[in-house]
Amino acid sequence: MEYDIIVGLEIHVQTKTESKMFCSCPTGYFQKDPNTHVCPVCLGLPGALPVPNRRAIELCILMGLATNCKINQNIYFDRKHYFYPDLPKGYQISQYKDPICSNGKVTLPSGVEIEIERIHQEEDVAKSTHHKEVSTNKDYSLIDYNKSGIPLIEIVTKPCIRSAKDAKDFATQIRQICRYLNISDADMEKGQMRCEPNISIQEKGKWKYEDGKILPVGDYKLNNKVEVKNIGSITAVEKSIEYEVKRLTEEITNGKEIIQQTRGWNADKGITEFQRSKETADDYRYMPEPDIPVIEVSKKDIERISNELVELPHEKITRYTKDYDISTYAAEVISSTKENASYFESLLAELKPSLDEKTAAKEAANWLMGTVYSIGKDVDIKDLALLIKKFRDGIITKGVAEELLKNCLENNKDISDELEKFESSSKENSEKLEDIVKDIIAKNPKAVADYKGGKESTIGYLVGQVMQSTKGSANPNEAKNILVKLLK
Amino acid sequence: MKIDVKHIADLSRIALTQKELDKFTPQMETILQSASELKNVDTDNMAPMKKHRPFSDLRDDIPTPSLTQEEVLKNAKHTEKGYVKVYGKIFGDIEES
Repeated sequence: MEYDIIVGLEIHVQTKTESKMFCSCPTGYFQKDPNTHVCPVCLGLPGALPVPNRRAIELCILMGLATNCKINQNIYFDRKHYFYPDLPKGYQISQYKDPICSNGKVTLPSGVEIEIERIHQEEDVAKSTHHKEVSTNKDYSLIDYNKSGIPLIEIVTKPCIRSAKDAKDFATQIRQICRYLNISDADMEKGQMRCEPNISIQEKGKWKYEDGKILPVGDYKLNNKVEVKNIGSITAVEKSIEYEVKRLTEEITNGKEIIQQTRGWNADKGITEFQRSKETADDYRYMPEPDIPVIEVSKKDIERISNELVELPHEKITRYTKDYDISTYAAEVISSTKENASYFESLLAELKPSLDEKTAAKEAANWLMGTVYSIGKDVDIKDLALLIKKFRDGIITKGVAEELLKNCLENNKDISDELEKFESSSKENSEKLEDIVKDIIAKNPKAVADYKGGKESTIGYLVGQVMQSTKGSANPNEAKNILVKLLK
Repeated sequence: MKIDVKHIADLSRIALTQKELDKFTPQMETILQSASELKNVDTDNMAPMKKHRPFSDLRDDIPTPSLTQEEVLKNAKHTEKGYVKVYGKIFGDIEES
């Protein structure tokens, strides 16, 4: 039996604000003492009233604008009830019927379109760790409420993802958007971004996708879906889905019925583990949040927020490949972070007066991905542009440029001074070059004979000898020209 | 009006005996019955009475000092190293604290 993979992703992102979602407690709780960023509101004490943070809602709207969502101009909050120690109020303030953003879509680098059902605003819960008491053998949990009330947005896709790879690409793109727009640092290891895939497999040809829903064809009974939690990295998004699809296929092949359940990803073992059968939506007893009024967002507000939009990675990739003719791979690497892309664009601007745009872009991409990344330090854009120009003029080789750069960075020297020194010594060398070439010819009779006998590739070896004898300062093209001339 | 008190109790992690269920169920049904009187009110042409506020009225994103750890933990039944300590198993019964 052949099965199709049906995946929907829920991505939670902690947005980057100074204060919490419904109270003024500071947000920066990472590595702080437990229960020190807490007040009566985020502790859920009776009588404490929530007051929404405007900036948090702006960031939610910004995410919606970046993912082509419709923005709801009336914002409603709802209470989602469940009983658990990480949630001191007994309910989470969230949004049920009317999310701030709905019906969006993003296009992956592969061209696949992912539809977004909704993006809504809510609050994070406390952090709990689970232990066993040695003296009494009792289970217990330790709760830190610092995280309780941190602004959280939830991005929900339609069940339109058809492979583990697409799910990973989508999560990657959401993370990039968060970072480009400064919505969140979206560090999964720190829990700033959490991905929870809903996965099911259905028999090929027995289901259809209609209005954002998976429907059975004929009397086919759809298999239940499984939700996977505890995914700590983008890679684990892909791996956990691959694992779960394999597991579900085996279960169904063995005639077992899949129950709707939540499973946890165990990264060490590379498997998912049963956590609980899922509570249905009705069990949350959603109700309108009576403590928060309806918030009216005007067109002007949305316009103001949209000013924060910048060119996003997928837009950059399209522009780079179309306007500059650079490869998709290079465009993807360069636009992977805002810093890389801005470095590339500044370097390009430095090069443009002396090179045509496409050549400048190609050189900028090559040098950025080769030299700058391999040096792994901040290379001054003007310095690099200068070196690239000298390289283009045939004055230095790439190797020499890299040596100069490293030398200058390590010893805090000025690149123009070093270039000047190098040029004057290479000028001297050039005058001496013919003598050196003659010397090399005399010392390598076999190679010379091979070359004259028609084995033209030997010239490379001879050029190499010249380079070695000049410690890389000679221009290899010039050396080659002299060699060819003298060996005629 | 029927109500599944056991289900509601389970969701709140409260263990009720059959005796308690027999006692509470009719009581809660009476409460629901009274509240459902509201359904008889004709609200067809009534606008919701929810208050509307402009976006600009929301709170500025400026943090203010929180309570001290000591104050936060003052009402907790059990604590450990600055944490609130809760006995019980994950996804299972959790002791009321």
